[in-house]
Amino acid sequence: MQAQGLKRAGLPGDPGLWVFILADMTAFALFFLLFTLGRMGDPALFEQSRLALDPAFGIANTLILLTSSWMMVQAVEAVRTGSRRRALLFLVLTIGIGLGFAVTKIVEYAGKIQAGITMLTNDFFMYYFAFTGIHFLHFVIGIGALLVTLAKARSAPMDDGMRRWTESVGCYWHMVDLLWIMLFPMLYLQRLS
Amino acid sequence: MVDDFRHVRFCAWNGMIFMAVFILFWGVMGHNIPPWAGDLPAKVVADWFRAEQNIIRTGMVISMTFTVCYCVWGLAIGKVMRHVTGPHSILLELQIWGAGLTVVPVLVSNSFWLAGAYRPEALPDETLQMLYDLAWLLIDLGYSVTSVQMIALGVGFLQDKREQPLMPKWVCWYSIWVGFMFTAECLMPFFKTGPFARQGILNYWIEFSIFFIYAPIITWYILKAIPRLEREVADAGARA
Repeated sequence: MQAQGLKRAGLPGDPGLWVFILADMTAFALFFLLFTLGRMGDPALFEQSRLALDPAFGIANTLILLTSSWMMVQAVEAVRTGSRRRALLFLVLTIGIGLGFAVTKIVEYAGKIQAGITMLTNDFFMYYFAFTGIHFLHFVIGIGALLVTLAKARSAPMDDGMRRWTESVGCYWHMVDLLWIMLFPMLYLQRLS
Repeated sequence: MVDDFRHVRFCAWNGMIFMAVFILFWGVMGHNIPPWAGDLPAKVVADWFRAEQNIIRTGMVISMTFTVCYCVWGLAIGKVMRHVTGPHSILLELQIWGAGLTVVPVLVSNSFWLAGAYRPEALPDETLQMLYDLAWLLIDLGYSVTSVQMIALGVGFLQDKREQPLMPKWVCWYSIWVGFMFTAECLMPFFKTGPFARQGILNYWIEFSIFFIYAPIITWYILKAIPRLEREVADAGARA
């Protein structure tokens, strides 16, 4: 219970990390704006292209990331209370469930490419592949950070440094989740009004 | 051996010298703010090379001459960074090598623009367009060496245990983010129009803007760190 009673900062994790998160969210906000402008320019094409996406993949990915994020919350709480076994368990669950996102995304990309749809097909798919691709890169980095956290949680002391690290990775992982929650309706669900 | 900071300030200012020269001579004289669009006919680019060959030559010659300032700047950052990471850290070396290697794509791409301006009257339009394209492909896709510098710098300075770090944490994370954001350049060769093209809102205006903001911020904090380190070194010497 070494971590109990440690002084808590206002922001979870490394405060500087929030600059990264804010900058990244701003970049994605710009992505969403560009997509909206593109859609306004050719609504019929965007609607027709949107119908080629299977929302089942989007729903599955949303549930996967939300569940994985929930496990991450438990892992952070375990580190805060100094419970190494629980931290390890929930980190493994976070990673294991999270990897399901990679599986569905690869299956979805492969299906599109086999159907002859690439980011050069039209503007909608340019945005679709570019934005989900950049998001996927965020996901891969997140998995890497989680694996490092898992390695640390096996032997590193459950001290303030470990708490800050795990909270930082947790914040990043929630950002990956949040970005997807915004990408999903924009790409898969937004109908022609 | 006492650490010597005598020339480090000047070397740190080299980052600003690089930026000023790059904007004026590569950007303005080289018609790179913004660049010719990727979907323009070859004749437009070729006519520009022929009409403004001496302006382009001057711009690129001066830009190439001062490109090395980026490497000098990286070494100044390294001089400060070693007081955070220690002299044997791989992060320190990655930062220095990243800055040093950034010179290569800038220098070589500048030489392609210069080659286009060297004898444009003797070259067909498509060849001149190819030189222009080649230069832009290299300067954009050479991003990874600069990303190495930025990420190593950010991660390295994050290790600072001082109560008031030499480089604020937010700057470290901003550095990591900029290095990471450059990966969007990978999309540039696939598009001649739109946000990912070389003249596009994302791959030109945003990417170059975050870099142009980045360099002055780093320089500012390096210049602020130098007198602090001089005092630290002097105090350590007095105690010894």
